[in-house]
Amino acid sequence: MCLLIALLVAPAMGVAREYLQVFVTEPYLELRTGPGRGYPVFTVVARDESVDILFRRTDWFKVRTERGVEGWASQQDMQKVVLANGALFTFPLGDRAGYNSHRWEMGMFAGDYGGATLISGYSSFYLNSQLAAELSLGQFLGKYSNGTTGDLGLAHIIAPEWRLTPFLMIGTGFVHITPKATLVQPAERTEQTAYVGGGVRYYLTRRFFLRAEYKAHEVFTKRNANEQVDEWKLGFAFFF
Amino acid sequence: METGIRVLLLTVAFLSLQGCAVRNWIQQRNEARAERDAAKEEAANANANQQQDDLEAPPPRVVEPDVERRKITVPKIRSSNVEIGLDYGALSVEDFGTNPVYGVTAAYHITEDFFFQGEYGRSTAGRTSFETLGGNIQLLTNDERRFTYYNLSLGYNFLPGEAFLGRGIAMPSAFYWLGGIGTTKFAGDDRFTVNFGAGYRVLPSDWIAVHITVQDRVFKSDLFGVSKLTNNIEARIGTTIFF
Repeated sequence: MCLLIALLVAPAMGVAREYLQVFVTEPYLELRTGPGRGYPVFTVVARDESVDILFRRTDWFKVRTERGVEGWASQQDMQKVVLANGALFTFPLGDRAGYNSHRWEMGMFAGDYGGATLISGYSSFYLNSQLAAELSLGQFLGKYSNGTTGDLGLAHIIAPEWRLTPFLMIGTGFVHITPKATLVQPAERTEQTAYVGGGVRYYLTRRFFLRAEYKAHEVFTKRNANEQVDEWKLGFAFFF
Repeated sequence: METGIRVLLLTVAFLSLQGCAVRNWIQQRNEARAERDAAKEEAANANANQQQDDLEAPPPRVVEPDVERRKITVPKIRSSNVEIGLDYGALSVEDFGTNPVYGVTAAYHITEDFFFQGEYGRSTAGRTSFETLGGNIQLLTNDERRFTYYNLSLGYNFLPGEAFLGRGIAMPSAFYWLGGIGTTKFAGDDRFTVNFGAGYRVLPSDWIAVHITVQDRVFKSDLFGVSKLTNNIEARIGTTIFF
């Protein structure tokens, strides 16, 4: 009944709201003092009353009640509230469905780049659930030389709906090599590279997954022969 | 040669799969177009029927109901998971004394338990006891004494809670573990560095956090002739802002 009254009155109360207003449909909505499962519940919002959603932090929503009390509501509880037109409030949950199809992912790796220890990070932007544009940057630390490497390319996820799924990569990049000080000091050099590669990713839980990959780099040197560098790495990543 | 074959095979596999994806995409697009056309045709038919009905329908009502259909525009909900800040503290470089360190941290909170953090910091190492006792001996140049590190770490909030200030103020807080990998530039060389540590974070408001962190940065050094693992312990205090 209250919901009905609210629906009738709401349009008169100013059309443009700064925050999204949602209505409680369960017997009550619990509000906690902090964004975590352990924080105490200090107030509840009764059925048919509304809250304004101020912002979201991880799996928690900071909301403000009609009386101006602010607290944190969990993602599970917020799945049961409705918009002013009665439609369910929907938002990305960061679960297995999100793993199958998402926009962004980021991660870090440790591995081996042509015999040197490699540390790298990457970011992907998904054009659809199977095809992503990827940028990765890394630093390798070897016995005879150190350097940085960067790649830009495409990744194809073969079966995004599988928990363990293979993928393939192709792209181009650069490598900057700084030889370590010796008697004869060779100059630093930057070369263009191209790569193909493959790997697997494995969904762990929530927004996390493991990722292992191999890239075969072709380094286009200024000398007569090009160089081949193998890159192996293992890391973890998350999507958002 | 072996790499060449692998490259060739992987390229062929990649391209063929892309081919499948494109074909699926074309097929999906054609299906979508067919559906759209069908819907249009149906709408046109319905319209024609409607016109037919209109001719037979009774005259329009005198009073038109003045009710506007309520349309809800869902504003985008702000996400506040990114934390960026500055910190200052003391870094003990093994064999080189304790010196001030300052740095930048950026974190992304993935879930209420886990976060991903990047750190960058700078310090300048002091003199070893050998240099102090030996008078004019200089093991490193001033440039080589500069200690710069960056790290990528995973953090875990393991004791979330609240901190109280008097009767009226309660602030969310948490202890956290940190562990990760990175690079340290010291004594003219870049070294692979493993870091681990713990910290305490308290949030006076939703947007500001104060951190106290203790981290050990471990790397292999052969500065004194023998290769050994060095522990470089760092304590910092910092302020971050959530975005």
